Amino acid sequence: MACHGYVEVDHTADIALRVWGENYWALLQQAAAGMYDLMGVVPNPDTSLDEFFVIPAGTHETVLVDFLSELLFLTEEHGQVLDHFSFSDDGNVLSIMSTGRKIHTCERHIKAVTFHNLTVKTTEAGLEVTITFDV
Amino acid sequence: MSQISLKTFKKVSEYEWEIPRQYRPDMRVPVRVFASQSLLEDSFKDKSIEQAVNASTLPGLVEAVMVMPDMHQGYGFPIGGVAATDPETGVVSPGGIGYDINCGVRLIASRISLDEAKSWLPDLASALNQYCPSGVGVGGTRKLSIDDLADACVKGSGWAKNETFTSPDDIRRTEDQGCLAGADPRKVSPRAMERGRTQLGTLGGGNHFIEVDLVTQIFDEGAARVMGLHTGELAIQIHTGSRGFGHQICTDYVRRLQGAVIRYGITLPDKQLVCAPISSEEGQDYLAAMRCAANFAFLNRQLLLNRVRDVFEMVLAGKVDHWQLTQVYDIAHNIGKFERHLVEGISRTVCVHRKGATRAFGPGADGLPDEYSQTGQPVLVPGSMGTGSWVLTGTQISMERSFGSSCHGAGRVMSRSEAKRNFWGESLMKQLAQDGIEIRAGSLPGLAEEAPQAYKDVDRVVDSVVGAGIARKVALLRPLIVIKG
Repeated sequence: MACHGYVEVDHTADIALRVWGENYWALLQQAAAGMYDLMGVVPNPDTSLDEFFVIPAGTHETVLVDFLSELLFLTEEHGQVLDHFSFSDDGNVLSIMSTGRKIHTCERHIKAVTFHNLTVKTTEAGLEVTITFDV
Repeated sequence: MSQISLKTFKKVSEYEWEIPRQYRPDMRVPVRVFASQSLLEDSFKDKSIEQAVNASTLPGLVEAVMVMPDMHQGYGFPIGGVAATDPETGVVSPGGIGYDINCGVRLIASRISLDEAKSWLPDLASALNQYCPSGVGVGGTRKLSIDDLADACVKGSGWAKNETFTSPDDIRRTEDQGCLAGADPRKVSPRAMERGRTQLGTLGGGNHFIEVDLVTQIFDEGAARVMGLHTGELAIQIHTGSRGFGHQICTDYVRRLQGAVIRYGITLPDKQLVCAPISSEEGQDYLAAMRCAANFAFLNRQLLLNRVRDVFEMVLAGKVDHWQLTQVYDIAHNIGKFERHLVEGISRTVCVHRKGATRAFGPGADGLPDEYSQTGQPVLVPGSMGTGSWVLTGTQISMERSFGSSCHGAGRVMSRSEAKRNFWGESLMKQLAQDGIEIRAGSLPGLAEEAPQAYKDVDRVVDSVVGAGIARKVALLRPLIVIKG
């Protein structure tokens, strides 16, 4: 198994994603990539953008939900798909610099990132989490 | 605690089952399931019953956590769950209402016969698809100011009372007259307000739809006559909710309440069950914001109905005798409200959470329009795409056994990814067309996820609630046109 990645997990009504990474920042990157994949986001290659945002400090789980919720908002309201995240944690807030593109098409709407059984677990290879999305 | 099986349940009747409170030490009330034995056994394939047991641990619950036969696994609460809490000692849980606050269904009757309309159905489908905004991220044609949106949050359906196509009967024939009191836009985040500004009058994607149906069978002539439903005539269903506005409000409060459960010393088996005491500042703030989303959703369906009326006039005026449309009822199936119910034989006010469950007030219940006071309220149960939908009424037994609630649809049995592996959107579209259904869909993979085979047979679900006595059959509808985002 690669040291980071994601895979869709079956869920009767909604959709779920198992994500793993060698550290927490890799886990966030993979969760973002996996969520965009679930949404069927296709970026417009002729565009480029920079985005900066902050989220409050918290547990691994709350930061993960806040981070993905922010990406959902930027997708829906600003038509943005982001990658290449750079994280800076000062203990109070997590600052995130990123680059990305405008969205060309998006197949599926995700309503929200849930806390359902959300626990970031330590594994031999790093960290792992299963995230359930409301669709 | 053991693996959930039929042995876990006490059989109350052919269609009612109960898990006693002693099943797990942290349960505060029993779990009551309304289902045939076969539907109950089907539910063991996912975690819906386990989630109902988890929900039964919330503080201040009364009587039982109820589960409807269209149950399926959700996140935190099961879909198809009903839970009521005491206003003084109990909690309110955003997860028990869901992200799509006041997702619901509006049913509209017509006097248009299929014979008259048949040759115009393709035009009608295309015009509905063109004029009713639908699909992922598709906004409406109006962008409200923040002040106007705040006004809409307080007034609900009444905000549109002066619009050309709104009828006073629409508002009268909407659950709670399309407006929950106590909505406070100051409790809604700026981000939610921003998302809501462009989304009024839009359908969205996923399982939301507009359908033009044919009334194929009447089971209760009297109730059908009162509702304006006649065999061989068209009816319309609109299924949508509070869009990104409601999703954001739920997201905001699920996040905020993660801290509240620690502060109030509430232990939960699942973080998505977060809650706050109803009497707390957090609980009151959530209720005030949730009511804004509920009112937004009532108004959203009203504005969509007005578009539908506009389309019917454009396409059918002069071609059929009566193109006008009359609202039958509008119901919420994801909502939290204070209602009076019998709890262990005593009438009390409780906070009823319905997540994927429909209010099903019986004859004589408070708050119904006069014309439904004898019949009980209409209960709208859409089937899966391309299959029949049911119109039911609430009963006296629903008032006594299920906090005046019934089922809300067919209920999924297959995950979305499995449905996409098994069905192609394109071939599904062809199959529906062969069955005589005009379909307009924004996303073919999205269509595959909604394949009828991914859902339970809605007839079995309805037979269970009717068998349990918590609803009565009125009419069966068959789809002619399906519009999906």
